[in-house]
Amino acid sequence: MTAAIELSHVEKSFGDKRAVRELSLSVPRGALYGIIGPNGAGKSTTLRMMLSILFPDSGSIRVLGGSALAAKDRIGYLPEERGVYRKMKVGDFLLHMAVLKGMARAQARNEVTRWLERMGLGDTFGKRCEELSKGMQQKVQYIAAVIQQPELLILDEPFSGLDPVNMRLLRELILEQHASGTTVLFSTHVMFQAEQLCEHIVMIHNGEKVLDDPLAAIRARHTPRALDFEPLNAAVDVQTAFRAVPGIERMTREEGRWRLDFSPDVDVPAMVQAVAARVAPARLELVRPSLEDVFVGIATAHGGNNDAATQGAA
Amino acid sequence: MNITKTLQIARREFLATVMTRGFLIGLLVMPLMIAALIVVMPFLLKEQSPRIEGSVAIHDPTGQVLERAREHLSPQAFAQRRVEMQRRLDSVLPGAMRGLVASGGEDAMQAAMEQALGAVPTLTLDALDSAAALETAKEALRESDTALAVVAIAPDAVTAGEDGLGTYDLFVRKKLDDRLIDELRDALATSIVDARLAARDLDAREVRQLVRVPRATPRTIGEEGEKSANEIASRLLPMAFMALILIAVMTGGQQLMTSTIEEKSSRVVEVLLSAVSPTELMAGKILGQMGVATLMLALYGGLGVLALVSFAATGLLDPWLLFYLAVFFLIAFVVLAAMMAAIGAAVNELREAQTLLTPVMLVVMLPMMLWMPISRDPNSTFATVLSLLPPVNPFVMMLRLGSSTPPPTWQVWLSIGIGVASMAAAVWFAGKVFRIGLLMHGKPPSFATLLRWARMG
Repeated sequence: MTAAIELSHVEKSFGDKRAVRELSLSVPRGALYGIIGPNGAGKSTTLRMMLSILFPDSGSIRVLGGSALAAKDRIGYLPEERGVYRKMKVGDFLLHMAVLKGMARAQARNEVTRWLERMGLGDTFGKRCEELSKGMQQKVQYIAAVIQQPELLILDEPFSGLDPVNMRLLRELILEQHASGTTVLFSTHVMFQAEQLCEHIVMIHNGEKVLDDPLAAIRARHTPRALDFEPLNAAVDVQTAFRAVPGIERMTREEGRWRLDFSPDVDVPAMVQAVAARVAPARLELVRPSLEDVFVGIATAHGGNNDAATQGAA
Repeated sequence: MNITKTLQIARREFLATVMTRGFLIGLLVMPLMIAALIVVMPFLLKEQSPRIEGSVAIHDPTGQVLERAREHLSPQAFAQRRVEMQRRLDSVLPGAMRGLVASGGEDAMQAAMEQALGAVPTLTLDALDSAAALETAKEALRESDTALAVVAIAPDAVTAGEDGLGTYDLFVRKKLDDRLIDELRDALATSIVDARLAARDLDAREVRQLVRVPRATPRTIGEEGEKSANEIASRLLPMAFMALILIAVMTGGQQLMTSTIEEKSSRVVEVLLSAVSPTELMAGKILGQMGVATLMLALYGGLGVLALVSFAATGLLDPWLLFYLAVFFLIAFVVLAAMMAAIGAAVNELREAQTLLTPVMLVVMLPMMLWMPISRDPNSTFATVLSLLPPVNPFVMMLRLGSSTPPPTWQVWLSIGIGVASMAAAVWFAGKVFRIGLLMHGKPPSFATLLRWARMG
């Protein structure tokens, strides 16, 4: 089976700024991919090219086995900057979007009613969009993205501006779409969200792809380099006790617990034994690197913009 | 291009524009105002001016003017003059407003004139036999309520003296109706001329007949034979055609720009672009607003046709003229709408659009400002050049086509050809700007930036 999305050496510049550089990517059908990177990394530009909203300067893009333009009706899209026609009635807006996505009017009407009922918006069909709360409008926008049951769902920063309740609801809806066989690709600059949802992560930094791996592989590759330690006896002077242990680079106290960071060449099992032998632990746990740590590490290694990395990871 | 999607965009654009309270009110305001005027006018006309009553004192040392003036200012003479005035008006008025003579005769005409001008004045003419009486009468103008005017005829008004023929002096009281002053002037001038003619043994009535030649109404001779043209209608027609296109095009164009800005500022445009191409979006929007403009054209054009029926001037509506109206409307609309779509896509809010809009509006309004020189000489070099120069050529060519001396056919078709080329150029330019501008936010672009986008796109 062909991939849902295939990008090959894609380049896109705006004036002097190279927004996307030599980007190649393959997203298999049915996958749940996350594109992460700081603001301005080139994520939205990449997604817009997949949707044929923008066109690459060079390179090729194939979506759902054909050109991006030909696949428009089979792609659902929730942009980062999303809006509705404020004066238009909710039902009319969704019908409009459904027809633009290639649905027949009669079928579209049934689907709109069904989706509104499902999202708890059954009584809003005849209301103007401006009469809805922001959360309700976001639900309407999500319906507009999935109304035609797309084969590929592209979500650009889908959780931005959502309250925790709607964030959870959206997460469930995305997972539901994925479970039904839809390929889901979403971008975020909040690494935690990607960690929660994705099977596979693509990292973009300064327009370049710097990581393209399954989440499990990323975790496996980036071995833990820190310990979360809590002494059994709170009166013990931890700093004095571990000062002489070779390989501990930094000790940071966090609410009665200590984070011990190692140097890269340390033998981790030996270090765990050494720590436990010096001070009896109430708690001793290896700290696995978060995606944020991975990203900051990669961004720094690429000599990139540390500020951007920090901002993106925030 | 996907026609179904384009038509869906057009449908939304049309309904979103037309089905708003503001548009419906705006659309109906003009016809309603005209209808209201037609309904209200008769009631307003029923409010007659008060009858003028009083005395006019005349000092006539010649002894030949007073009686003639008395006759001229009698109620019967007033009534007769009004009937003649109605007849003269009838000859130039539209067909629907005629018929008073046929339906009710002179009594009906007199009644109608009284309705319009007030009741016939009732004047008493007093003869003043001395200079002292003249002075007394002039004094009376200050105090008396009934004394309206005093006239002093010069002794040499009828028969020339050493300094030639004399005239008369007119003294009136404060706050005298202007219409009475006109009547007095008219009566005295006629009476003095009549007296002068009589003094030379000439028949005044016969002389008047001899010097009067009625104004002729031109008759047009064409393929369909001979027909009389209504001068008022034929003068207004070119302007009406141009105004019709201008109103329809401006309304549709403005709405197109506003709706594009709204889609961009509300960020709904990105969702739309995920479903349709920028070309489909722009084409659909132009098509939808063309529907709006056509609606305006049909409504106001329909009113115009009614007016022509009323003026009994439907003969002015040549089918070719209507064909050209449709063609030039299409050209004017597409060119302007493309510009408006480009401006709407380039800016973030309506306020920012003003800078880009001003030059476009000035160019479009140019034919309106040059209406007089063009319609006076529709085949001048100036008019010919303008009628071939985009984007004003549709407006100016319609002005020339509606005139009594239409341009040669080759010029019309050359203008259409240039118009079609300008349509293609405008759509190409707007398409480039539209595609780039829709996703651009921040500082509003200048014309130079728009040109750069067009080269980039």
